[in-house]
Amino acid sequence: MLEALQYFSMAWVSPQLLALVALGTFLGIYVGAIPGLSVTMAVSILISFTFSWDINNALCLMVGVYMGGVYGGSRTAILLNIPGAPSAIATALDGFPMAQKGEAGRAIGLSTVMSVVGGFIGIFILAVAAPSISEFALTFQPRDYMMLGVMGIMLVGSLSGESLTKGIFAGALGILIGTVGLDPLTAEERFTFGAVELWNGINPVAVMIGMFGLSEALMQLHHLDKVALKQKLDRIIPAWADVRKYLPLGTQSSILGTIIGALPGTGGDIAALMAYDYARRTTKNPKVPFGEGAKEGLIAPESANNAAVGGAYIPMLTLGIPGDAVTAVFIGALFIHGLNPGPMLLTERPEMFWFTVGNLTLANIFVLIFGLTGIKLFSRIVECPKGILIPLIFVLSIVGAYAINNSVADIWWMLGFGVLGYFMKLYGYQVGPVILGVILSRLVDDNWRRAIISERGDIGEFFVNLFSSPLSVVLFSVVILILISQFPIWKVMLKKRRSDASRDA
Amino acid sequence: MAHTQHIYTKPGETLFGFLMVILSGFLFWKAYSISGFESLSSPGALPLAATALMVITSCVSCIQNLRLPTEVQGHFFKEILPPVVAVMIAVIFLFAVVLNTLGFILTALAFLFLTIKFLHRSGTIRTLLLSAMILVLVYVVFRLVFKVVLPEGIIPEREIMAVIVDLFNSGAN
Repeated sequence: MLEALQYFSMAWVSPQLLALVALGTFLGIYVGAIPGLSVTMAVSILISFTFSWDINNALCLMVGVYMGGVYGGSRTAILLNIPGAPSAIATALDGFPMAQKGEAGRAIGLSTVMSVVGGFIGIFILAVAAPSISEFALTFQPRDYMMLGVMGIMLVGSLSGESLTKGIFAGALGILIGTVGLDPLTAEERFTFGAVELWNGINPVAVMIGMFGLSEALMQLHHLDKVALKQKLDRIIPAWADVRKYLPLGTQSSILGTIIGALPGTGGDIAALMAYDYARRTTKNPKVPFGEGAKEGLIAPESANNAAVGGAYIPMLTLGIPGDAVTAVFIGALFIHGLNPGPMLLTERPEMFWFTVGNLTLANIFVLIFGLTGIKLFSRIVECPKGILIPLIFVLSIVGAYAINNSVADIWWMLGFGVLGYFMKLYGYQVGPVILGVILSRLVDDNWRRAIISERGDIGEFFVNLFSSPLSVVLFSVVILILISQFPIWKVMLKKRRSDASRDA
Repeated sequence: MAHTQHIYTKPGETLFGFLMVILSGFLFWKAYSISGFESLSSPGALPLAATALMVITSCVSCIQNLRLPTEVQGHFFKEILPPVVAVMIAVIFLFAVVLNTLGFILTALAFLFLTIKFLHRSGTIRTLLLSAMILVLVYVVFRLVFKVVLPEGIIPEREIMAVIVDLFNSGAN
C-alpha cells in the first residue's frame, strides 16, 4: 500500500515531472480546442519525438495531453459550435445555445468543474476496480458489442430536432458514410466507385469539420449584420449551489462514462452522447429545454467524456486492449519504451500502474487550473466581428481537413459535406445523427457480422444464445426499452387520432 | 440546434426532397450490388439496411412535404442560397483548387484578404494587416508547433526557414 502511494506521488514530488504534466495538459487543452487537431494526432506526434526520452518523462507529457485534450474540445463547442474533438459533439448541443445567450463564461466554468469531477471519478474507478471490470469486459460477445452500438444509434431519436423521419434519414446516411471503403473483414469494395482513393473510406474528421464547422459558418453568413454577443465572462467559477445541485447528475454520468470508456472500441465520444441522452431522459422539467441551453445537457457529456479517460485505461493497462484511438497510440508508446501492456503489467510492473494513476490525477488538477483561467483571452475570439471570425473559421476548417492526411482530397470531402450539411440544416435535417452514424457504423457492422458468423448464419441460433446469456439479455432489454421510449409509435397514433377527431369536430 | 416545426414549404425544399429520394435509391442499388441478399453477415448487409432506411425515410419526408400548403414563401436566392453564401462556397472551392500550386501562404493570405474585405468591409491597409496577423497565427500553430505539412507552392518556405535558422545560429555563435 505504502509502495503504491509512493509510485502514485512520483510525479507530484519531482519538479521536472510536475512541469511536464502541466505542459502536457496545457498543450492538450489547446490541441483539443482547435478543430481539426486531434488528441490522437498530438499524442502520435509526441511519440515521434519522445521515444528517446526517459519513459517517465514521456508518459507524464502524454497523459497530460490526453486529459487536457478531452476537456479542451468543449471550449470551441461552447463558443463556436464546432466541437474541437469528437468527445465534445454532445457538449455543443446545449453549450452553444448557452453562449448564444451570452452565458459562455458560465457554461465554460460549469463544464470545467464537471469535467474535473468526471475525471476524478474515472480515475478512482480505474484505481479501485481495474481488475474486476476488465474481467467483466472480457466476457463480452460480438453480439453484446453490436447491441452497445445499436444503443448508441438509438440516440438519433434525441438528436433529430423537428422531424424524427429526417433524423433517421440522417443517421442512416451517417452509417452509410461509415461503411465506404474496403470491408475490414473481407476486403470487398463498398461504395468506392472503382476509386482506389476511397479504399480507406471517408475520414470521419473531414465529415465532422464539414458538417459542424463549415456548414455552421455558412449559416452564420445569413446573420452577418447581427452584432456579436458580448459574453459574460466575469463569473467563470461556478456558484457552489450550482455545483452541488448538478453533482448527482455529474456523478451518474461519470460512472456511465467510465464503464463505456472501459469497453474496447468505445471512447469519450460515445460516452458523452450516451450521457447526454441519459440526462435528457432522467431530467424531469429542466429549467431550460434541452437543445436550447440546458445546463444538464452540458454537465452530463462533459463529466462523462473525462471519466471515460480513466475508463479507457482499464482495458489498456490490464488487458492490452485499447479503449479508443488515443489509448491505441498509448499502447504503441508503451511498447516502444519496452513495456508490455497486458495482464502481466500489473504484476510485473505495478509501479507503472500507480505512476499512471498518479499522473492522471495530477493532469486532472491542472485541467481545473488551466480550465478556469485564460478564458477571457480565448473568448475574445468570439467577440470579434463575424466578418473576421467567419473567414478564420473557414481557414481553420480547410487547414484542419488538410492536416488529417496532408491531402487536398479531404478538403473536398469537407467542402462537400459542409455544403450538404448547410442545405440539410436549412431544410430541417439535423447533422448530429450523421456524425453519430459515422462513428458507430464500424462497431455495429463488425460485431453484427461476427455474431452472425459465429452462429453459422443461423438467426434462430443467434437469439437462442442471446437469451441464454444474462449479460446479453440485460443489454437486449435496454435496447427494447429505449426503442419504446424513443420511438413511441403508440404516441404518434394517439396524436393522429386526436387531430383527426378535432378536424371532424 | 432546435428548430421549430415549419408549416410552409421552403423554397427548393421539394426539389431537395426529391434529390434525396433519388440519391437514396441510387445508393440502395449500389449497396445491393455489393453482395445482394446473399446472407445476413455479408459485407453488403449493413449498407443495404442503411440505404433501405434512407429510401423509406426520404420518401416519407417527401410525402409529408407535399402535404404542406403548396405556396412557397420566400425566394430561393434570398432565403436559402443568398449571394453571399454562394460566393463564399465558390471562394473555398477556388482555395482548394489552387492550394497545391500556389502554396498555403499565398492562397490563405489572398483568401483572408478577399473574404475579410468582402464580409467586414474595412479599409484596405487594415484588412491586409488583419489577414497577415491571422495567417501568422495559423502558420505558427499548425506549421511550426504541430508540424502539419502545408503545401509550399511557389514560395520556397523551407529555404527561407533554413536561412532564418542559420541567421540565429550564427548570431548565437
